[in-house]
Amino acid sequence: MKKMIILVFLMEAIGTLQAQDRGTILIKGGTVLTVTKGTLENTDVLIKEGKISQIAKGIIAPAGVRVIDATGLFVMPGIIDAHSHIALDAINEGTNAITPEVHVADAINPFEVDIYRALAGGCTVSHAMHGSANSIGGQCQTIKHRYGVYDGEQLKMEGAARTIKFALGENPTGHGRRDGVQPQTRMGVEFVIREAFSEGKEYMEAWNSYNKQKSGKGFRGAPPVYSLRLETLADILKGNIIIHCHSYRADEINMLMNVCRDFGIKKVVFQHTNEGFKVAPELAKFGAMASVFADWWAYKLEVYYSTAYNAAILARNGVVTSINSDSPDLIRHLYHEAGKTQKYGNLSDDEALSMITINAAKQLGIENRVGSLEVGKDGDVAIFKNHPLSIYGVPQMTLVDGVVHFDREKDAADMRIMVDPKETVDIPTIHQATTHNHENCMQNMEWLLNVKMFGLNR
Amino acid sequence: MKRISPNRPGRYWILLWMLVLPIGMYGQSELEPVTRTYALTNVNIVQAPGRKIDLGTVLVKDGLIISVGKNVSIPPEAMIIRADSMYVYAGFIDGLSRTGVTRPKEETNRERPKDPGNPSNERAGITPNTDVRNLLNPSDKAIEDWRGAGFTLANVVPYGGMLPGQAALILLSGRTADDLVMQTNTGLYSELTGASGVYPNTVIGVMAKWRDLYRKAVNSKNYEALYASNRNGLERPMSDRVYEPFFPVIDQKIPVIFKAEKLLDVQRVLTLKNDLRFPLILAEVKEGWHAIPKIKATGSKVFLSLDLPEEIKKEEKKNDQKTEEKPKTPGEIEKEQLEKRRNEAIASYTAQAATFQKAGIVFGFSLLNTKPKDVHTNLRRMISAGLSEDAALAALTTSPAQLLGMSDRVGTIDPGKMANLVVSDKPFFSEKAKIRYVFVDGVLTKLEVKENKKTDASVKSEIEGTWNTTTQSPQGTTTGKVVFKKEGGGYSGNISSSMSQETMALKDITLEGNTLSYKYTLSFGGRSVEVETNVTIEGDSFKGNTSVGTFGSFPIEGSKNPK
Repeated sequence: MKKMIILVFLMEAIGTLQAQDRGTILIKGGTVLTVTKGTLENTDVLIKEGKISQIAKGIIAPAGVRVIDATGLFVMPGIIDAHSHIALDAINEGTNAITPEVHVADAINPFEVDIYRALAGGCTVSHAMHGSANSIGGQCQTIKHRYGVYDGEQLKMEGAARTIKFALGENPTGHGRRDGVQPQTRMGVEFVIREAFSEGKEYMEAWNSYNKQKSGKGFRGAPPVYSLRLETLADILKGNIIIHCHSYRADEINMLMNVCRDFGIKKVVFQHTNEGFKVAPELAKFGAMASVFADWWAYKLEVYYSTAYNAAILARNGVVTSINSDSPDLIRHLYHEAGKTQKYGNLSDDEALSMITINAAKQLGIENRVGSLEVGKDGDVAIFKNHPLSIYGVPQMTLVDGVVHFDREKDAADMRIMVDPKETVDIPTIHQATTHNHENCMQNMEWLLNVKMFGLNR
Repeated sequence: MKRISPNRPGRYWILLWMLVLPIGMYGQSELEPVTRTYALTNVNIVQAPGRKIDLGTVLVKDGLIISVGKNVSIPPEAMIIRADSMYVYAGFIDGLSRTGVTRPKEETNRERPKDPGNPSNERAGITPNTDVRNLLNPSDKAIEDWRGAGFTLANVVPYGGMLPGQAALILLSGRTADDLVMQTNTGLYSELTGASGVYPNTVIGVMAKWRDLYRKAVNSKNYEALYASNRNGLERPMSDRVYEPFFPVIDQKIPVIFKAEKLLDVQRVLTLKNDLRFPLILAEVKEGWHAIPKIKATGSKVFLSLDLPEEIKKEEKKNDQKTEEKPKTPGEIEKEQLEKRRNEAIASYTAQAATFQKAGIVFGFSLLNTKPKDVHTNLRRMISAGLSEDAALAALTTSPAQLLGMSDRVGTIDPGKMANLVVSDKPFFSEKAKIRYVFVDGVLTKLEVKENKKTDASVKSEIEGTWNTTTQSPQGTTTGKVVFKKEGGGYSGNISSSMSQETMALKDITLEGNTLSYKYTLSFGGRSVEVETNVTIEGDSFKGNTSVGTFGSFPIEGSKNPK
């Protein structure tokens, strides 16, 4: 019977592997922007079964392999968005301040056209995040934009690090004020996080002690009560999950670093981090990373003290920094967002491109797989007409695992995968409305937006 | 949640609730039948898919099938039913519905609890200890309606949230709730439905809570076993009404019956099954064909929905020549392409059963979102999309019997089995077949064949004007005033009734010969209910039925106001 079960498991595992497409393809004669190993003129990139197998001049295509002529074009690693909410049916389980047990992987929607639109902007990987309604939200899922699959499982980037969303400031305190529960202030946010970590620690210790005693001779006793919530918190304390924390102000950024220091947590990425420029040395010293907007602020009180130089200041202070979208619109032109760091901060081409490739990969714990064009990495590639950091840069083709998922020349009008037989689509907009683009991180939290807080809510 | 103001349609709301309360009006006659022995003679017997006896006899006695065949001797006490050249099938079985189940009263002014993150189990939709038997109402009109559509057994579940309670297989005939019950606890029913405003609110919350509850239940069960083996020196295990219903699931004795309509629901439920390894029945599946490999690999059982999306009515092309002259605008081309894709989607839904048949998956049908009057049409649509008639019959009889573990008692016409039978005047899947007799547990229901007041296209009825209507429902007579006005090629209109001060606009008014139908939407308490009326006109009066959402169908009569 056990053998049978193992066999079924194996067959399932093979089934999923086979279902995921891995392509073999040669991209010839482009200007290859490796990001980590310089720029190579007139160079070929060979992808075999989904992995980059060779980067050199004059590679001869193996028999039967498709060749893309990239003469005069720019070939860069697929863009990575470290903060997005596309391809999700549920974003906020905002009913409680602490919900680490929930996982957006359970709500992946592979049919969202936003995935294809992201591909049309050269973006191949995104970090599908829980929202910012509560202090400790849910676990996030790094996805590959393999648009066209029918099963959300196949969008999950296999082997990607576990990540979880935390949130500080106005969003979680607004939740508390509405329900009359903690947290209602920034002090409250710190308290609920500390309390949660303490409970997680007790839980971990209780199980450790039970498991030790259990094997002892003649042991009689009850196991501790199982809790998926505390189990997840214990996993954070063990260093198995990277914290991605929604934050704006310098004081709250310092606060979370202090909390993490007290609990021995080392893996922290700050999201938004609008006042990161004020605490850049402290972030660098802690080893925390930062994912920021290029120039987006003033949509509520806590984001007024902001600057477009934020990314450059953080980078120059040695903080691994990425630029993210947090929006199904910006995700389509993250290369423009990265280009802004050259206007505001004079970053080099490689530094600017790192913000949307290798640095984002480091923050998601996938830098050994994606984020640069190097032999052995995944065949995730974006091909541009004109330099991607130029205002004239236009994505032509986007590959994931060596498979072409976007081709500007074969861009069909209706890219929906599943069609609702009851839905009548208005002409000429065939897609689901994506209004409130910038409010996605507050999805299901409309009540909060209705609360008049200084009249500054977006 | 919207508050209901007391002087608005709240009154209507209460009246509607009365429709579903047990009133006893539909209770069966108190007289015992003169005999419990019946002989169906000269009938084509379809014993099981692919197994047929031409013109034979089925003898039924005391709720059981006694003999089946060509040379059956009929005892003198038998009531003989001359089913000359009719067709008899095993009674149909519904895999998931709420037929006969009382809908709970909705608390209209439910406030958010003090701490929405920690609501009571009940508020969170976690009531696996609810036994649907306690909610059965034998006089629910739906029982009669579904029996009339050929269904004799239904696997019914309570209303609720993520874990509404325990299912039971019920007979669609009986005087008391206990009469109805054929098998208790046929599964633990679940949906991916979040609790409104409290934890778990979203699908991610529901799935996390599901894993948490299941693993807690496993631990609780293990500890109880440990305690039972040697109690000395151990703290007593806590009794828990939420974990205990999971125990037979953990023992693989009963399945979790999970409603999963859309493809993503199916996949999410399969993810839970893979994580926790419980036996699973996927039910009310509407969009499952892309998940077939996973369904097979996990050994999950399936009930496909008998509900289908409506076909798009083709506009009559009267002006063919004119449209050919003009080149199509980009908008028209886009509209055509969109319609083409929508039609393809409808076709895929319709072909789902055929696709499952081809993949070799045993499936039954569930009726959760289907109306009795659509069963025959939808089955015929599925058959014309490639489902074989044998497979369709299997999905109504032998397959659900197998999936629910009842094959030794129901599903075929064989001696010794329960006398659950359906008799139709023509082969059941043919267009004009009508059900004439239904046996449930040996109890006969004879169905009235409606007078053939079919659409008479030659009659030209004129409906413009004001009509006074009366509707009979369990709480009495409702009067209404319906006004029709000519508009363009068709009609517009509105309705006001004794139940509501508001006047509601009519939609989809269609008049074909002497048959008239119209719809309108009743709104109350933030909810809306579709009302659909179908009547046949004779001079200045009409007769027919009006169906009020899922509350049931009621007779309606109308007469035109002379001007």
